[in-house]
Amino acid sequence: MRAPAISIRGRAFGDRVLLALVILLSIVMIAPVLWVIGLSLKENAELMANPNSVFQAPYTLKNYINTIATSSVFVWVFNSIIVSGGLTLGTLILSSLAGYGFARLNFPGRNVLFVIVLFGLAVPEQAVLVARHQIFSMLNFHNSYHGLILPGLSASFGVFLMTQYFKAIPKELDEAALLDNASRFRIFWKVLLPLTVPAQATLGIFTFLGAWNDYLWPLISATKKDMYTLTVGMASTQTNFAQSEGIGFLMAQAVFAGAPILIVYLFFQKYIVTAVSGAAVR
Amino acid sequence: MKIKRVLLAAVSAGVMALANPAFAATELTLQRFFGACDADFGSNTDVAKAVGECGIITSLINKFNADNPDVHVNVTTVEWPGYDQLTAQFASGDAPDIVTIHESALSDYQSKGLLMPLDDLLKSVGVTPDAFTDAARNGATKDGKIYGLPIDSWTMLYHINMDLFKQAGLVNADGTPILPKSPEELLSQAEQFKQKTGKPYFVQNLANETALYTRNLYTYLFQQDSDFFADPKHVKLNTPEAKKVVEMYKAIFDKGYTTKNLDYGGAINAFLAGEGGVQLNGTWVVGDNNAQSETKGTALNKGGYAVYPYPQLFAGAHAQYADGHTWAVSQKDRTPEQTAAIGKFLKFFADNDFDWSRTGHLPAYKAIISSDAFKALPHRNTIAAVADLGRPLPSAVQRQFAIQDIIGEEMSAAITGQKDVDAALADMESRVNELLANL
Repeated sequence: MRAPAISIRGRAFGDRVLLALVILLSIVMIAPVLWVIGLSLKENAELMANPNSVFQAPYTLKNYINTIATSSVFVWVFNSIIVSGGLTLGTLILSSLAGYGFARLNFPGRNVLFVIVLFGLAVPEQAVLVARHQIFSMLNFHNSYHGLILPGLSASFGVFLMTQYFKAIPKELDEAALLDNASRFRIFWKVLLPLTVPAQATLGIFTFLGAWNDYLWPLISATKKDMYTLTVGMASTQTNFAQSEGIGFLMAQAVFAGAPILIVYLFFQKYIVTAVSGAAVR
Repeated sequence: MKIKRVLLAAVSAGVMALANPAFAATELTLQRFFGACDADFGSNTDVAKAVGECGIITSLINKFNADNPDVHVNVTTVEWPGYDQLTAQFASGDAPDIVTIHESALSDYQSKGLLMPLDDLLKSVGVTPDAFTDAARNGATKDGKIYGLPIDSWTMLYHINMDLFKQAGLVNADGTPILPKSPEELLSQAEQFKQKTGKPYFVQNLANETALYTRNLYTYLFQQDSDFFADPKHVKLNTPEAKKVVEMYKAIFDKGYTTKNLDYGGAINAFLAGEGGVQLNGTWVVGDNNAQSETKGTALNKGGYAVYPYPQLFAGAHAQYADGHTWAVSQKDRTPEQTAAIGKFLKFFADNDFDWSRTGHLPAYKAIISSDAFKALPHRNTIAAVADLGRPLPSAVQRQFAIQDIIGEEMSAAITGQKDVDAALADMESRVNELLANL
């Protein structure tokens, strides 16, 4: 009887250590967010005199009122939502179709084409940036939503992921549907696609977050302020080298900027955790 | 009959309004750095009430728009320095009309024919280069022509916490700070400061930084008469002079005479909180530091704030690295109205350069630098010397921002001990020359 008791105590101790570590890491992760919120509630003059004043009253909502009244942050958030949403939707559609094609259809040059697609994984964005910029200039695509969305649609990773996922689905399902006289598209749409929802969620979440945080391409493609995405817009407001104005205002903008992604997380928490843990296991 | 007349008058007025171009303001696109501060100054046109770079430049442009209803300047703010964006805009044929460019970066665009020479336009509005200070005129002149309207000269300075200097016994009888006259004196004064105050002599932003390192190196190379850019396409940095400078800053780092892990914002806050004696920062913080020194309860209010050019540590030229901001104009087809509107804008900034000099930057105009109003601004008596001391890199040197990054990275590696000093100097020289060879 003793041995199990020791084991339970040992496990309880281990659990406690684990819990302490989780709490510690949570504090490390949440501290910058709380710091941003704290700064956003302070007058700039106070912050200049003493950054630690963030821990002392008085607090003010002035920075939030000013953000609502004067900041372009809502335009940038809107642009980011359009770009990230459009890119995610487009990537899911194209990657699913391509993945299905590579996994299920036999056509000449399929393997060569798949290798070419995979080769895209090895080419960094910076290597094609200048050429892409020139092409988009010729097409007059800069400072437009499609100019920001199109480059991300060539998603090699998405095609690869969906191909592997479709391959893992038993072919017997297709054959049964074929016997029922279903068309290829109907098999894809009604039978196979619903089974790929976990993969779609993984791909969708990573694509959305990648697009939301992208900086380099929007920096050189969206050069008009009404087309700035969130990352470029926020950066444009913060290079005040004297730092005499706007630390609290900047942080209030950051709170507004972070809100949409937090909402996305709250709604898709289950899928995000599954996607991240799934990726880790793989 | 009366109604008929009224209708006729209304229709005539409408037709005239549509036909007369004077009713439609000429649109100009302007792109600048210096941050955004719309909450405080977004609609302010009273420039005298504005403070700081962002506040003053925003208010000046607001005032220009208010004073000139026939012109509308549409402003886009970019992250400093904005050259990636600007280069992309030129590549796609979509550059702004007017743009902030450092004098040190003008060559990058001028050499490719992307900027409009401004001599004739400035002359047409009554602004002549002989009104500029020597530093400003030299900085804005490329191949004998003016390629940017200079609005200031700026440099790095010694921002001093006088309370801590008093504690350290580094104050003259007349109340001025005792500054070093050689590298050895610098190290001994830094040691004295550390012993007496328990704090580092320097507050430096050494984390995530390249510019500070590079500007420090340039200044002390000038002071040793090192002509490291004798050939604008080939730098010589693996030299005894450069080694002396890097070793001096390495000793400062190794002996704990400087803050070590602060980024730019952290260094500003550390200095304002009294955590060190001398902050190495630019002209742009003079106004804000002075305001802090006049605010009760602040660290700078205790014993005062002083600001000086870098001390002369070597026996060579009395010089320190300087640069300047300009308004440059992109080369493109324009209507005479648009060109005239640009001229009007440049003239406005030339006429209002005093307000810009309240930031702490030195004016680009002789008349302003010698004016009583400028001299009456706080601390200008000690920093005005920069107008004579300030020296840029030779104007033919291209890619100065990229060079700054390379030198800063290598200096950082040497000073923090990640790399041997000789290896860092050899690498910075070869990397810069590789960059310049591929222009």
